[in-house]
Amino acid sequence: MRWLGLSLLGPLLWALLFVAVYGAHGMACAGVTGPEGLGTGARLTMVGLWLAGLLAHGALLLALPHGAGLQRFLPRAGAWIGLGASAVTLFPVVLVTSC
Amino acid sequence: MTDAPVTSAPADAASDIPRNPPQRSLTLHRALARVWANDRGLWGQITAVSHTTLGLRFMATALVFFAIGGILSMLIRAQLATPQGAFLDTELYNQIFTMHGSIMMFLFAIPMLEGLGIWLLPKMLGTRDMAFPRLTALGYWCYLFGGLIMLSALLFGVAPRDGWFMYTPLSDATHSPGINADVWLLGVTFVEISAIAAAVEITVTILRQRAPGMKLTAMPLFGWYMLGTSVMMLVGFPPLIAGSVLLEIERAFDWPFFDPARGGDPLLWQHLFWLFGHPEVYIIFLPAAGVMSMMIPILSRTTILGYGAIVAAVLGLVFLSFGLWVHHMFTVGIPHMALAFFSAASVLVAVPTAVQVFAWIGTMWKGRPQLVLPMYHILGFFLTFVMGGLTGVMLAIVPFNWQAHDTAFVTAHLHYVLIGGFVFPMMAAATYWMPLITGKRRIDGLGEAAFWVILIGFHGTFFIMHLTGLLGMPRRIDVYPDNPEWIWLNLTSSIFGFVLTIGFAMFALDLILQATLGKRAARDPWEAPTLDWAMPVPAPNYNFASLPLPEQAACGAAQAALTLARGEGVLPGAPRGRREVLVSTVSGARPLHVAVLPGNTALPLALSASIGGFVLLMLAGLYALAGAALVPVAVLIWVWARGMAPSGDMAQVQAAPGLRLPVHFRAGVTLGQSGLVAFLVANGTLFASLLFGLAFLEVVTPGPAAPSASVEHLTMGWAMGFVVATAGLGVLAARASGSGAALAGLLVNLLALAGVLWIGAQLDDPTRHARDALRAVVAGYVGLHLLVAAGMAGFVLDQLRRGEITPDTPGAAPAWRLWQEFTAVTTLITALVILVQAGVV
Ligand code: HEM
Repeated sequence: MRWLGLSLLGPLLWALLFVAVYGAHGMACAGVTGPEGLGTGARLTMVGLWLAGLLAHGALLLALPHGAGLQRFLPRAGAWIGLGASAVTLFPVVLVTSC
Repeated sequence: MTDAPVTSAPADAASDIPRNPPQRSLTLHRALARVWANDRGLWGQITAVSHTTLGLRFMATALVFFAIGGILSMLIRAQLATPQGAFLDTELYNQIFTMHGSIMMFLFAIPMLEGLGIWLLPKMLGTRDMAFPRLTALGYWCYLFGGLIMLSALLFGVAPRDGWFMYTPLSDATHSPGINADVWLLGVTFVEISAIAAAVEITVTILRQRAPGMKLTAMPLFGWYMLGTSVMMLVGFPPLIAGSVLLEIERAFDWPFFDPARGGDPLLWQHLFWLFGHPEVYIIFLPAAGVMSMMIPILSRTTILGYGAIVAAVLGLVFLSFGLWVHHMFTVGIPHMALAFFSAASVLVAVPTAVQVFAWIGTMWKGRPQLVLPMYHILGFFLTFVMGGLTGVMLAIVPFNWQAHDTAFVTAHLHYVLIGGFVFPMMAAATYWMPLITGKRRIDGLGEAAFWVILIGFHGTFFIMHLTGLLGMPRRIDVYPDNPEWIWLNLTSSIFGFVLTIGFAMFALDLILQATLGKRAARDPWEAPTLDWAMPVPAPNYNFASLPLPEQAACGAAQAALTLARGEGVLPGAPRGRREVLVSTVSGARPLHVAVLPGNTALPLALSASIGGFVLLMLAGLYALAGAALVPVAVLIWVWARGMAPSGDMAQVQAAPGLRLPVHFRAGVTLGQSGLVAFLVANGTLFASLLFGLAFLEVVTPGPAAPSASVEHLTMGWAMGFVVATAGLGVLAARASGSGAALAGLLVNLLALAGVLWIGAQLDDPTRHARDALRAVVAGYVGLHLLVAAGMAGFVLDQLRRGEITPDTPGAAPAWRLWQEFTAVTTLITALVILVQAGVV
C-alpha cells in the first residue's frame, strides 16, 4: 500500500507547486502583493518557489529506492512525472515578464 | 453462534489458499442462479440490482441517447448544408446544438463508460458484483429520470439553448428567461448523482474486491484505467456540481455569484465548468484506452508491451489533466503568465498519451495482429484519435488558439478526439464482448461494411470542418453569409454526415442481428487469458460459481472456467442462500472478510423518483414545496441505511479449506466505510470548489469591492467559536461508545446547527454582493453537514436501542465518526474564512 502512496508524491508535489506559483502570480497581478503587479519582488518569489520545488522533486527522486518490480518502478515514475511536469509547466516564470 | 478464530490465509500469500473439493457444476449453478437472479417480469426489472443487468441497461440506454443525439446532429447538418438554411429557426437551432452536445457528453459518453465499468469490472477482477449494488441501481434511475427530464424539455420547446457549457451571462436569468437553463442545471446535476455513485463503487470494487491474490500490480490494465477514471470523476464532477448549484441559486433567488455589477464574475463559472470539463475529456478517454489495452494484446496474440509504463502514463494523465482547464479560456483576457503555464501543460499532456499509443503499436508489432472486426475499429481509433491529438497540440499553442477559437476547427478537433478516442474504441469493445453479452456469434459482413461507411462518413464530415474553421467560419451559428469558400465545404460535410449516420445504423443493425439471429457462441472465442471469459456465455448474474485463485487465473480463461464452475475456487456456490463476495486487502488482495450484498429491491427507484420530484418542483419554481420534497428523500435514505444493519447469520464463513472469514458486520474496514471515504473525497472537492470561488472573487474579480460586513465582530467571533467547539465535541462523542455518547452527539450537532442558523441570520443580505452570497452558501454547506451528522448520531442511537451495535458489531458508528470528523474540519475552515472576510481576525 505504501508504494501506492509514494507513487502519488511526485504528481502531488507538482500540483502543490502549481497552485502555489499560480496563486502567487494571481495575487501579484491582482495587485494584492504590491502596487507594481508582476514586479521584481513577485517574480523573484515565483522563481524561488519554482526552484525550491524542483529541488524538492530532486530530493524525492534521490530518496526513493531503486529496484525491479512495479512497486519500485511506479514511485520513481511518479517522481519523474512530477519533476518533468514542474519543470515544463512552470518554466514561464523565468521568461514572462508581464501580467 | 460459536465462531472459531479467524484463520486468514498466510500473510500476503493468497496463492497458498488450498482449493475447495470439486462439486457438481449444475448444482452449484442452480443454487447461485436462484440467489442472484432478478425477480420475474416487470417488477424484476424495477428491483434488479445486479451489475450484469444494470451495466447492460446503462449501456443500452446510453445507446438510445446516442441515437437521439445523432438525429439532432443531422438536423444541425441539414441546417448548415446551405448558407441561409430555413430548416430550423434560430431559437430551435440553439436548443438543438445545445442538446446535441449535452446529450452526447452527459447522457451518452459518461453513462456508457459507467455501464462498461459496472458490467465488466467484476468479471475481469474475479468477483460477483459491484461493492454497492443498490447504489448501481440508484445511479441508473437518476440517470434515466434526469435524461428524460432533459429530453421532455426538448419536446416541449423549453430545452437549454446556451451551449453545452452554459456560459454566463448568456445563461443568467436576464439573458435566458424561462426554464431552459434550469432544465440543464438541475437535469445535469440529477444525472451526475449517477456519476458520483459509479465513481465511488468502481473505486471500492477495484481496490477491495479483486480475486484473492490478484495483486494491484498485476491486475488487468482496464482496472488501472477505471481506477484513474473513477478518481478523476470524484475530483472532477464536484466543481461542475458546485457551479451548477450556484448558477441555479443565482437564477432562482438572485444571489449574484456571476453578476459583475454586484461583485460576481462570469469567469468564475468558466473556471468551475472547465475544472470539470477538461478532465472530463480524459474521463471519457481513459476507459476507452483501458479496453484498447485489453483487446490489442489478445487480438495480437501476445502480451502488452510496457505494463508499468502504461500505468505510469495513466497516473500522469490523471494529474496533468487537472492542470489544463484554462486552455479553454485562452481568449477571455487572462494574464500572459497564466497563458504560458496552461499552454505548456497542454502540450505536455500529449506525452503520457503518446506513451500509450506507442505501447499499443509496439504490442501489435511484437505480436500477430488478427484483422477481425474489433481490430478494424482499433485501427480506426489510431487514425482518428492521433489526428485529433495533433490538432489538440495545435490548439494548445496560444496564438493559434486565438485564431481558431470558436470556429468550426474546434468542432472538428473535439469530434476527432471524442469519436476517435471514445466511439471507435467502444465499437471495438462492443464487437469484442458481444458473445459474452448475448451468447451469440456475429453474422459476418455487415459489421465490416459498417466500419468502412463510418470511417469514410466521419472523416468526410469532420476533416472538412478543419478547413471551414481555418477559413473563418464560427461555430454555433445557424445561418452564414454566402461566402463561396464556405458553401461547398459545408454542403460536403453535411452529405458525409448522413453517410456517417447510415454507418452507425448499420452498426446497430449488426448488433441486433447478432443478438437475435446469431448462432451460439463458443466459450472464450478470442482465446483470451483474462477472467472475463472464464465463465459461461452469456454471463450469468453471479459471474463465477467460485472465485478464482491465482493459479486458476493464470491458466487461461477456458481452463479456469471449468475448475471455477466446479467450485474449486474460493467461496463456492451459495450455501447460505445470500449474495456473498470476498473483500480483501488493497495491495495484495489477501482475503479479509465476506461481504453480504443486498438483494433485489425497489428502494433505489423510490429514492431516485423522490429526488426527481424535488427537481421537478424546483423547475416549476415551487421552492417551498421543493424543500418539503426533501423529507421523503431523507426518510428513504434512513430506510436505505436500515437495510445495512447487522442481521442474519453472523457465523464465520468457510471460504476454502482452512480459510474461515468473518462476515462484514463483524469485520474491520468494510466496503461501506471505504465507500464513505471515496464519497468524502468528492465532498471535500466540492467544499474546495466553493473556497476557490471565494478566493477568486476576492483576488481576481475586478467588480465593485464588497461593502464592509455589517455584522458585529465580537458576537460573530463568539458564535463561530461556539459552532466550532460544538462540532468538535461531536467528534469526541462519535469516538466514544454507548447510548450516552450517541445522544450527546445528536444534541451537540443540533446545537451547532442552531449556531450556524443564527450566524446565517446575522450575515449580510446575500443578494447584496457576490461575496456575501458565496459566504452564505459556504455556511449553508456546513449547516447541511451538521444536520446529516445529527441524523447519523440519531441513527447510531437507534441501532444501540435495537441492540444491533455490540462490541463485535460496530454498526453505523464508524461511518458517523468519519463524517463527524470531516464536518468538524470543514466547520473550522469555514469559521476561519468567514472571520477573516468579516475582518474579525
Ligand atoms: C454522430 C455524429 C456526430 C455529428 C454529425 C456531430 C455534429 C456536430 C456538429 C455539426 C456540431 C456543431 C454545432 C455548431 O457548430 O453549432 C456539434 C457540436 C458538438 N458535438 Fe457533435 N456530432 C456527432 C457526434 C458527437 C459525439 C459522439 C459527441 C460526444 C461524445 C459530440 C459532442 C459534441 C459537442 C460537445 C458539441 C458542442 C456543442 C456546443 O457547442 O454546445 N458529438 N456536433
